[in-house]
Amino acid sequence: MTIFTFALKRIFRDKSNLASLTLFPIAAIFLPANDNWPLLPYGYQFFGVLILFVAIRLTGLLIDDRQKGVVKRLAAAPVTHFQYLFQNLLAFSVIVIAQCILVIAGGVMYGNELYEPLWLLVLFLVFSFTAIAFTLAWNTLYRNKETSFLIFMAVIMIIAMLGGLILPVDMLPDTLEKIAVIFPTYWLAEGIEWVVLGENIGDFLLINGVLLLYALLFLIIGSIRRIG
Amino acid sequence: MRELYTIRFTALRLSREWIVLLLLFGVPIVLVTLFSVILADIEYMGVSAVDETNVLMVLAFQLFGGTVAMNYIYLDFFTERRYRIQSLPINTSLYGFTLMLLGTLYSILLGAILVGYSTLVWDVNWGNIPWSIFIITLMALLSSIICLLLTFSVKKFSIAERLSEVYGIGAILLAGLFFPMPDNAVINWVNEYVNPIALAYEAVDAYRNANVEDAWMNAGLLGGLIVITFVIMLLLGRRRMP
Repeated sequence: MTIFTFALKRIFRDKSNLASLTLFPIAAIFLPANDNWPLLPYGYQFFGVLILFVAIRLTGLLIDDRQKGVVKRLAAAPVTHFQYLFQNLLAFSVIVIAQCILVIAGGVMYGNELYEPLWLLVLFLVFSFTAIAFTLAWNTLYRNKETSFLIFMAVIMIIAMLGGLILPVDMLPDTLEKIAVIFPTYWLAEGIEWVVLGENIGDFLLINGVLLLYALLFLIIGSIRRIG
Repeated sequence: MRELYTIRFTALRLSREWIVLLLLFGVPIVLVTLFSVILADIEYMGVSAVDETNVLMVLAFQLFGGTVAMNYIYLDFFTERRYRIQSLPINTSLYGFTLMLLGTLYSILLGAILVGYSTLVWDVNWGNIPWSIFIITLMALLSSIICLLLTFSVKKFSIAERLSEVYGIGAILLAGLFFPMPDNAVINWVNEYVNPIALAYEAVDAYRNANVEDAWMNAGLLGGLIVITFVIMLLLGRRRMP
């Protein structure tokens, strides 16, 4: 698990990474709640946006590797491309899992009304895997980490809004409401609504199933490009 | 006058920065359009939600306009390119000011186009348009100065970039655009006297409601911030600029 260990070391060596990975989730716990909408406190409603930001920062390391020729050198090393990708993704997943646990456990201890904290944790974990796979696929389109990050920032704002994380989807015009279904953020927003109001477990399984399907699809797209 | 001649080339350089255009123009256009469609016919305390949200949206993006000047100053004066710039027969300080001027003008131009777009296409009420563009000018100038101030204050440029994001996002958060802020004396004071987006919105809103005195007071506060930060930027810049 050498690559896994080094991936973790690389991430935590960067001080701005360290700050964003720890301070923002902690801040999310203390954000207030609103009476009507969102159903959960703001920190939990916007946590999906934070996960997307974290995911693009983490997977940006793989663009660095392509830029610096590390991936080419790996081809000559006794390491398969699968091991390289799997161990890196595992390191990223460990970090987002820790963040999700921190936010949920912190929220419960702080006294936030989270309705079903365990189901919410499951939802955030599944969305985190989707976010990592999505950003992995996104990064294959770019040769430069900064370009990828800046354009993704714009994309996050738009998919968060159209997906129903910033405004309720019901407020969107009919056409946009139908289009919203294609964004993973829509399924996260639906999942949050289920955690607060839902009764039928089948709905929750469907939401997570769709998110996992997205994760699988993006993972396949993201792992195709080997050297670039 | 050779320094002024470089403006043309900086403008050409800017015209090729499509990511800047996407972030400072493409994204706000999309958001203004979406908000206008979504919030049509909604009123909150007598104010149209479309007017309030779109004015705030356009002003919020001005907070990030300073990144153009910041990046160009860094590339031309803090990387290896500085040796080429220093060997040119021009006054490098004046060249630095032209970079800042052009970055600010670019941000104002994009802001003005957004004002025009929101007014003509979505019928957003900006009150007095020249006044709104004047406020956008103040915002763009302040953003450029603060971004340069940050560039000169820290050793690593990546930290300056992160701090400029903190400035923009922090101002938006404090103004309560993402979620309502608690009724705290310090936060209220910051929003009333220091937060550029809150001051700019109040200036536009006051002029729209024919409260000219209040509008000038908020514009004056923005002007005061510009003077203070400009003096600090000059002092730091004289120490750090090659």
